[in-house]
Amino acid sequence: MSTKVRRVYGYLAEFKNASQLYKAAEKVRDAGFKKWDCYSPYPIHGLDDAMGIKRSILPYFVFIGGVTGFLTAITLAYTTQVGLYPTIVQGKPANIFTTAAFFPVMFELTILFSGFTVLFGLLALMGLPRWNHPIFASKQFSRVTDDKFFIAIEARDAKFSAEATKSLLDEIGGDNIELVEDDSE
Amino acid sequence: MAHQVTSKDIPSNGEHLEKSKIAKIQFLSGIIGGVGLLASIIYLLVGSGSAHGSYAFSWLFAVFFILTLALGGCFWTFLHNLSNSGWGTSVRRMMENLGFVFPFLFIFCIPFLFPGVQQYLWEWMTSYDAAVKAHPEMSAKDALFHSSNTHDHLLAAKVFYLNPGFWLARFFTYFIGLGFFIWLVRKFSIAQDTDNNPGTDNLFAARKHSSWSMIVFGVTLTFLALDLVMALDFSWFSTMFGVYIFAGSALNSMAVLILTGIFLQRAGYLKNVVTQEHYHIMGKLCFAFTVFWAYVSFSQFFLIWYANITEETRYFLLRNTENWNLVSLSLVFMHFALPFLALLRSDVKKNQKFMIGLCCYILFMHVVDVYHMIIPERGPSVGLVVDHVPQLWLGGSWVGDILALVIAVSGFLFFYLRNLTSAALYPHRDPRILESANLHN
Repeated sequence: MSTKVRRVYGYLAEFKNASQLYKAAEKVRDAGFKKWDCYSPYPIHGLDDAMGIKRSILPYFVFIGGVTGFLTAITLAYTTQVGLYPTIVQGKPANIFTTAAFFPVMFELTILFSGFTVLFGLLALMGLPRWNHPIFASKQFSRVTDDKFFIAIEARDAKFSAEATKSLLDEIGGDNIELVEDDSE
Repeated sequence: MAHQVTSKDIPSNGEHLEKSKIAKIQFLSGIIGGVGLLASIIYLLVGSGSAHGSYAFSWLFAVFFILTLALGGCFWTFLHNLSNSGWGTSVRRMMENLGFVFPFLFIFCIPFLFPGVQQYLWEWMTSYDAAVKAHPEMSAKDALFHSSNTHDHLLAAKVFYLNPGFWLARFFTYFIGLGFFIWLVRKFSIAQDTDNNPGTDNLFAARKHSSWSMIVFGVTLTFLALDLVMALDFSWFSTMFGVYIFAGSALNSMAVLILTGIFLQRAGYLKNVVTQEHYHIMGKLCFAFTVFWAYVSFSQFFLIWYANITEETRYFLLRNTENWNLVSLSLVFMHFALPFLALLRSDVKKNQKFMIGLCCYILFMHVVDVYHMIIPERGPSVGLVVDHVPQLWLGGSWVGDILALVIAVSGFLFFYLRNLTSAALYPHRDPRILESANLHN
């Protein structure tokens, strides 16, 4: 007999179709849960509203990333082309009015830094990459990439309780309600 | 989530703008536009001299401004049909109405047919006539080569395109061609409204014909811009000029569409079919074209600045001399940077009060943009010389600019309102109207 104590990840409930999932999500949201998620084989329009997800803070990071890129380009162009080694072509001035020649650089670096911030900011906010997720312990969960819809409410949530959460999922139409235990010790 | 819109929310005969609600404003704009147009035609016809020449430029500036708005309306209509879009079905009629202003604007272009106006605006016509008169026995090309004015040699190379007969033929073709296609596409859309068995026939017909129309639109906009604006200085050329005008047209007609939508909703129309999601999308398009305008206008400047070829730099040399430089710089910061930053956030696009202010601002900057394209040529063309120094700016000419702008915008408003009242405000029997009303993005 194994004496290992497993950590409870939370409850997993299956739903038959997208509209059931959508309606159930609204009820879970209204019950005040914060640490929970919906899983579906394809994107569902308006599900983020039904789940009550707030806007991501990623755009602010991207804005700062873009501004950083823009300022980097200005600094780079100015110090090299005005300060350190002015290149005079066709009698064009080597001062701040040469800016026009470096617009493509400013544009590219703004885009590049924004792009990097999008990619790495997104990965950081999602907590990726990671080796495993506790929810993969559930056998039925593999069908989420096929034809099943799931809601998982995590045990970390302040409102979580062993009985009440289970009966809530039952009430809102969840089938095959399963207590998922983390097996990645 | 808002309440799901169903066919019960769509009136079976559609929503119509009550004529009494806008009678006053339409009457007023009609009077100002009509009387102003007549007075301008008479003024431009009767006399000559620098004041008349100056007003000819004012008139071109004002009329070209309203032309770009109507052309943008044509573009959005054709694009919406051609891309098989569903999101904008409830705002599509506004696009059609805006585009259908275009053929009516021909009456504002009548002054451009007068030789008295042409001699100030398009100097190549004067040079052409003088050369042909001096050497009646030669072809126009040879005559221009034999001209004592060396600049005429540049014209000789372009005479296959820049000759009065072809110019006139093009001028009429623009209005007849594009005018016909926007009329046709709008007709399919309106026929759907009263169709007792509303199917997809009209919708598909509109889509099919939008394909030709898009080509006609592209050619018309490009060459109209070339003939009216680029030809102000026949020695100058830019291969990006057409797309530059297009970027401004698309941006500003979208600003007009947003304003129209907001005002119609405030007057109690379109309540069921237009939501903040539509304003969000239209705001995004405004944002995209703000960037596109900057991209194209900068590229035009950049390539000319970099290559530094004498004939090409004329345009920017003139526009960076003395105070015109301030106008050029203001375009960078106020036509691009400011709207770019203002439109960056998604929630401001759904804020109607903010968008009213911003769209008016964008339109104002478009006025500055068109002013910057056309008016700097006025000083050299009309040729006021004080103490042997040619003047870039004619004192007092701004009065004519404002007057012409007020007249042209009033005339534009009159025809736009006429189009808005002439059919239902949205295509209520379109198969995709519910999809559009329940839009979520």
